Amino acid sequence: MNGPLLRHTLAANALRLIVICAGLVLMGVVMPVMFAAFGQEVATFMESSPLLRQFADFGGGDLFSLAGSIALAFTHPFTLLLVGIMAVAFPALAIAGERDRGTLEVTLSRPLSRRRLFVTLYVAGLGFIGLLLAVLSITIVAATYAVGLGHELALGNVAQLWLAAWLLFVAFMSLAFAVSVSSDRAAPAIGIPAVFILLNYLAWAIGSLWPDARWLEDYSMFNLMKPQDIITAGLAPTDALILLAFTVACLAFALYRFPRRDLPAPS
Amino acid sequence: MAAIVTEALTKTYPGHGRPWQRGGEIRALHDLTIEVREAEIFGFLGPNGAGKSTTIRLLLGFLHPTSGRAAVLGLDSATRSVDIRRHTGYLPGGIAFYDSMTGDEQLRYLSSLDDRPAPLRAELIERLDLSERDLRRQIRDYSRGMRQKIGIIQAFQHDPELAILDEPTEGLDPLMQRSFYDILDDRKRAGRTIFLSSHILSEVERVCDRVAIVRRGELVALNDVGELLRRHRRRVEIRFTGVAPDLARAPGISDLALREGVLTCQLEGDPSALVEALQGSRIHDLLIEPARLEEAFMEYYAEESPT
Repeated sequence: MNGPLLRHTLAANALRLIVICAGLVLMGVVMPVMFAAFGQEVATFMESSPLLRQFADFGGGDLFSLAGSIALAFTHPFTLLLVGIMAVAFPALAIAGERDRGTLEVTLSRPLSRRRLFVTLYVAGLGFIGLLLAVLSITIVAATYAVGLGHELALGNVAQLWLAAWLLFVAFMSLAFAVSVSSDRAAPAIGIPAVFILLNYLAWAIGSLWPDARWLEDYSMFNLMKPQDIITAGLAPTDALILLAFTVACLAFALYRFPRRDLPAPS
Repeated sequence: MAAIVTEALTKTYPGHGRPWQRGGEIRALHDLTIEVREAEIFGFLGPNGAGKSTTIRLLLGFLHPTSGRAAVLGLDSATRSVDIRRHTGYLPGGIAFYDSMTGDEQLRYLSSLDDRPAPLRAELIERLDLSERDLRRQIRDYSRGMRQKIGIIQAFQHDPELAILDEPTEGLDPLMQRSFYDILDDRKRAGRTIFLSSHILSEVERVCDRVAIVRRGELVALNDVGELLRRHRRRVEIRFTGVAPDLARAPGISDLALREGVLTCQLEGDPSALVEALQGSRIHDLLIEPARLEEAFMEYYAEESPT
């Protein structure tokens, strides 16, 4: 770890974090409030047609149960976009992007090993994702209590949901770091993990909406975070272990590759 | 102890193209053996693609040698690059900074990564004519020359034992170039070593003690600048009346040409033989053009130029 680099990274990402936090606060407030205000009406409407009922299963979330509305807050594309920005863009810009711009060369001309630089940025990334998901979780809990439904919420399970979401996005971030340390340009470092996440999300979304394609869900990493199940019954250790194993594999690759690769002059 | 030693340093890259289309390897540097002495200003010359940047990046541990070795300040560049960078200042060619930082913030940030104080910062800021107001502006508002000044300061502010500079005067006006040369002279007097890669031959001639010339990844010359110039042929023009002086047998004289009272020739080495040969002739004017590193440099490259 390098203190000055960590402080610099925090300062450089402060504005981005504030904006994303604001979006997540909005998401965290909206879902429980919508459930409290319109949950019954939405349930009646969705049950009126088999097609709409199918849509109600999207990503394991819905608006006619508290657990479903919280699950929806964690799996909504808007949440994915906001947290995904940090999970993909931060690693891509922090290494491949800085290399592309030439600023990585100036940083690495200091007595700072590549491994130490990587670990510092990785720790910052862990903190960023943890913070964003904590903001979402705390807002959800606060909004749930505000609409008078706090007694229905198991706080321990919300903490487990935070952990599951953190493991999922850290896995994506680790992949993004592994690509970033191998790349000299920001575009592929952003593009490859973004496409990977998108394909996983599509497989998961299609699988949840179309019964004949339900098998697709098993091939999606999003299926390893089942928010509604976690809110009601807690985190499945196997899912957490699979995410952890993926993260460790990406991390090991990045830690092996980055110090050993050549860094020719930026073009 | 030498500041830099390379022994048969070689770097090759895989050929370009798709994996199934790859051709032979690209040889960026081949068998480079040089020694840079402590407290000297060493010039490293060559055209684009000659291997200058590759050498610098090998010295700093950004690249790993294919074969051979390099030692900087007695430390192996492949295994001790972090320690090397602790004692080295580096100015990359076309240096990039964080545009949203001010000049002052950038210098302080880089200094904090250096893990050692910056005793020369204030003096360098003054000598390179940067005002407090300049330093409070964001780097995105800086001109090319001002960015280069920040680059020079960040390379020297912690008083490194060795400074590695890639095209250091790029973007500096002539006045600032002079200030920069004075800074180099001062660092040399303080016992510091400068390794300078440049395209500007007059600059190398002005500041360097010794110079290495690389061509297509290979060392083609390594010598004192003075010696290189002494060896190089200079143009001589003699205006006379009466009988033309007989220079045919004078040592070091070649390419004699006579036209309407003007004798021209090439002189290599000591001019005293020429002066002696001119004794007794009626000379109006004698012009011996000073030797220029540029011509010596071009001579090395002319051998390889396509015809």
